[in-house]
Amino acid sequence: MTLEDAGFNVSLRIEAVELPDAAEKARLSGVGLRAGAAVVKIMPTPLQDPVSCKVGAQLLAVERRLLRRVRVVLS
Amino acid sequence: MGRVIALAGRPNTGKTTLFNALTGLRQRVGNYAGCTVEKNEGSFGDGPEKADVVDLPGTHSLLPATQDERVAFRFLSESADQAQDLLVLCVAEASNLVNDVALAAGLKDAGYPVALVVNMIDEARQNGILINGALLAEELGMPVILASARHGEGLDDVADLIRPGPLRADLTRAIDFRAAQTETLRLLQEKAEAEAERACAAAVTLPGRAFLPTIERSIRIDRVLMHPAAGPIILAATMFLLFQALFIWAQPLMNLLQDGLTAFAGGLRHVIPAGPAASFLCDGAIPGISAVVVFVPQIAILFILIGTLEQTGYLPRAGAMVDRALRPFGLDGKVFIPFLSSFACAIPGVMAARTIASEKRRLVAVLLAPLMTCSARLPVYALIITAFVPAAFRPLGFDGRGLVMAGMYGFGVVFALLLAFALKWTSLYEAHPSPITVLPPYRLPLPRDLARYVWARCRHFLERAGKVIFVVSLGLWAMSCFPRNKTLLAPIDAQIAQVKSGPASPEQAALLQTLTRQEDAARIKGSLLGMTGRAIEPVFRPLGWDWRVSVSVLASLAAREVFVGTLGTIYAMGGEEGSRQGLIKALRDAKNPQGLPRYPLGTAASLLIFFAVALQCVSTIAIVRRETGGWKWALIQFAVFFVMAYGLSFAAFHLVNFLA
Repeated sequence: MTLEDAGFNVSLRIEAVELPDAAEKARLSGVGLRAGAAVVKIMPTPLQDPVSCKVGAQLLAVERRLLRRVRVVLS
Repeated sequence: MGRVIALAGRPNTGKTTLFNALTGLRQRVGNYAGCTVEKNEGSFGDGPEKADVVDLPGTHSLLPATQDERVAFRFLSESADQAQDLLVLCVAEASNLVNDVALAAGLKDAGYPVALVVNMIDEARQNGILINGALLAEELGMPVILASARHGEGLDDVADLIRPGPLRADLTRAIDFRAAQTETLRLLQEKAEAEAERACAAAVTLPGRAFLPTIERSIRIDRVLMHPAAGPIILAATMFLLFQALFIWAQPLMNLLQDGLTAFAGGLRHVIPAGPAASFLCDGAIPGISAVVVFVPQIAILFILIGTLEQTGYLPRAGAMVDRALRPFGLDGKVFIPFLSSFACAIPGVMAARTIASEKRRLVAVLLAPLMTCSARLPVYALIITAFVPAAFRPLGFDGRGLVMAGMYGFGVVFALLLAFALKWTSLYEAHPSPITVLPPYRLPLPRDLARYVWARCRHFLERAGKVIFVVSLGLWAMSCFPRNKTLLAPIDAQIAQVKSGPASPEQAALLQTLTRQEDAARIKGSLLGMTGRAIEPVFRPLGWDWRVSVSVLASLAAREVFVGTLGTIYAMGGEEGSRQGLIKALRDAKNPQGLPRYPLGTAASLLIFFAVALQCVSTIAIVRRETGGWKWALIQFAVFFVMAYGLSFAAFHLVNFLA
């Protein structure tokens, strides 16, 4: 499933970040969004997009279009 | 060969706090990514130990995506070119080590001499994280220091590390980031992340819980501040209260300053013999400078509130909240910080746009950021609003002047959004590019950092305004004194001589006062300033401005706040009714020859709109030129904003007069 499909407050692990651009993928990896990272969807912002997520030991506001490209499994 | 310590690291790891601690400088400290968008330089130590310390903008990875990230990597590559004796001090957040250490490992692999400062170690302890510094150093193959730059912990160890020289001279094998292939950097990043994970797995013991206490606390706060209903209300209320506070808290202090400076000028008049020196000081320099100084309380309150928002970590969340709302206008949440910074000054705002990865969106932010109400507009707005909006105007119990002020701030934002919307149909539009914003943990602002920040901003305002206004005041005083038009002055001088020769009485004193004012007015009318004002008056007459306002606006094309000082000087030199009690009273009491108010409400409205739109700031024009790489956009921006300002002011003048 994708991070977009996953429920809130469920412990997940990133399986893959599916982006066609390798450089962009590496940059997101630098921010912490990479395969193997623990992730929990916390809450949407008031306008529902972006969504606040705990990725590793930090909070990120991730846009829904990116959530759809992050494949996750239950942790 | 110079010794250089470069502070690098991911955004918001406390590099600037460490930089301030090492150098004693007072750079701006904030709790959001992109707070430092240009490298800052200071020095550490003395004599042979002396080293230049450079605070580089934050970098998320070894693949620079934004303008500020490129600044950091360009600096490192240039240091390698110049064979500097360089040490890269990588600053990492102790509670987020696995992400932050990757950059240090990557830079080491790229051939740079690196040491690691694990910052915010106090916060990590509170989170129950144990870090074995020695083991981490062994795993990474670089010196590691555990520190808390905010609270001074470990700073002696950092000083001991960087004090001995030379640091390292061999940079011959360092990668040139300016020329490196993306694929090379990608592989380097991948390798660095693997090294960081391995080193942290060995040296860091995490608590047996899914959420760190700082993250848990931030989530609890977010559930209120980013609540679907309460979040936007809190954001709007915060902004609204900020502008109310500007008037309610600042007014007593402003009155105190105004009274003090007026008394000072009055006292000086009795001490200095009448003549050019007294005239220059009491009618030129002091009224001009005091017209600006009185606004320091408002500037200080503005920055106390903005600084608090910056340091708590609320700003990136506000950006995330408005992100979706901005998308229809062709903008995104990334413009929130450049736009909000521009409320302080357009210069950091324009520079903060460097954190926007998309080049076209960055240009749009650069072009629109100066429309936010900067602190230089504040004295102008405060003067006009205080002079023309009655204190008794209190709709729904709120301070009416505060509401008009909030309205002006709102006008700047709405106008910028409308322009952004219009730009969607130009070649400047680019689809929404930035999918992630880092939300730092909430932190309590340190009063010391906040006080330094507010002091630095007030000093900057005073230095900038003070210098310009002193020079302008000098020029204006000379222009208003010369030449002396004898045809205009002779009859009044004769009348004064006649009255003076009569017996002393209260009536004589009153008549003498009136004649002296007429003489002052005649002198300024016949002077170079008066002639210039009348020459340009026809251009601005359709906006409801007389020659005094027109000259002041012309002078303020260099810097907006000059308007207040110039008008203050003109009114003081002209000996207008009430001018000795300050400019606000003088404007309020000013009458035209028919005895009607010289400035109807429409004039106040047209001035407010003009100042809200026109780009009257040489420094901003210069920084736009620098950030856009040439004069083209800077000149287009100036010309377009001026034409729009004129048109909208014309409309405002006639509309408000019609309604009034």
